[in-house]
Amino acid sequence: MVKLYGFSGSTCTRLVALICKEKDIPYELTSVNLTKGEQKNPSFVAIQPFGQVPYIDDDGFILYESRAIARYLIKKYPNQGTPLIPSDPKAEALFEQAASIETFNFTAFVSGIVFEKVFKPRRGLQPNEERVQELLASLKPKLDAYDLILSKQKYLAGDSVTLADLAHLPYGTAFYGPAGFAEVFESRPNLSRWWKDISSRPAWLAVKDGA
Amino acid sequence: MVLKLYGFTTSTCTLRVAVVLKEKNVPFEFIPVDLTKGAHKAPEFTAYQPFGQVPYIDDNGLILYESRAICRYIAAKYASQGTPLLPTDPTATALFEQAASTETSNYDPFVSGLAWELKFAMWFGGKTDEARAKLLQSQLSAKLDVYNVILGKQKYLAGNDITLADLFHLPYGSVLLGIGLDEFSSRPNVARWWKDISSRASWEAVKGGI
Repeated sequence: MVKLYGFSGSTCTRLVALICKEKDIPYELTSVNLTKGEQKNPSFVAIQPFGQVPYIDDDGFILYESRAIARYLIKKYPNQGTPLIPSDPKAEALFEQAASIETFNFTAFVSGIVFEKVFKPRRGLQPNEERVQELLASLKPKLDAYDLILSKQKYLAGDSVTLADLAHLPYGTAFYGPAGFAEVFESRPNLSRWWKDISSRPAWLAVKDGA
Repeated sequence: MVLKLYGFTTSTCTLRVAVVLKEKNVPFEFIPVDLTKGAHKAPEFTAYQPFGQVPYIDDNGLILYESRAICRYIAAKYASQGTPLLPTDPTATALFEQAASTETSNYDPFVSGLAWELKFAMWFGGKTDEARAKLLQSQLSAKLDVYNVILGKQKYLAGNDITLADLFHLPYGSVLLGIGLDEFSSRPNVARWWKDISSRASWEAVKGGI
């Protein structure tokens, strides 16, 4: 059984849990309490040197970085659950393009907004509203490009769902809901259609409130 | 038809693709896109790259953008020529993906943010946000302390062989060194690794601009 070391509510931990659900991979979550700073304990840092969650122990093989863990699990179990990374070279290149779009044209901005509007208040800190507006100003034209891409195809890499789409869910859900920016997605029809599709997947519903 | 690389001669992301093309001995035609004249926002450009960013490639009709995606495509397509840059066995592949993700989340946001604040903001009529630059530098410093630990145990970021993950660090690392921000030299393992990857012939060939 895959041992997942992470925090139930953590975005990156829930991405790995989501992939496990999509691929029917059983996992066992061992809690690393971020509110107590357990991820900075020397025993944790000895395994994950950046002091970040999650990491997995798959029969003694240790791996960290949630997107790397996701790719590893998807490739290890190609014949069960949802196919999430194509193998045809052209389709794979378009998947890599979409995966990079998620990292640099979405999460780069959305994670900053979620940090200010959701994580800081949870720790009793005030959001930096100027920074939020700056990040939103950068994000909105990116989402216009998403809307254009998604007017021509069902998902970000083509007409089949891939890991690239699913990687948007943890931060995207916090942006849409708790951060209060649903309208930013809803006002873009193709983006909104795609968001409704991926965010209603049973695998996401199973983990969105805790890995 | 030779591969066409659309980009800006000194753009970090364009150079990221160029260094990999050189490592893999893949001939290419460079088609300059003048960022200073806003050519990347023109309809003829955004028809191919909807985010209005460089670079993109046209490989015999296959249009691909996002520099790291382009690099992965080239490294896979030309696996049997030039330097091997992507492992094939599953464990080594997983450790490569860990290293590639480390670059995107524990390096790029800080180095690109610093490059913007200390150099590129001024190109677009902005100015340095000193507080932000200071924060980014301290964050980068902490991350590179971890790199120093990792690189004390192995030669490259994914193990003992060079991979794309190492090369991805070159463009922004070079920009920061060029403006006098050196967070590498004081960390012996990072310094060794940086010297190794930045002295490769492929990087020497493109670092000054295509």
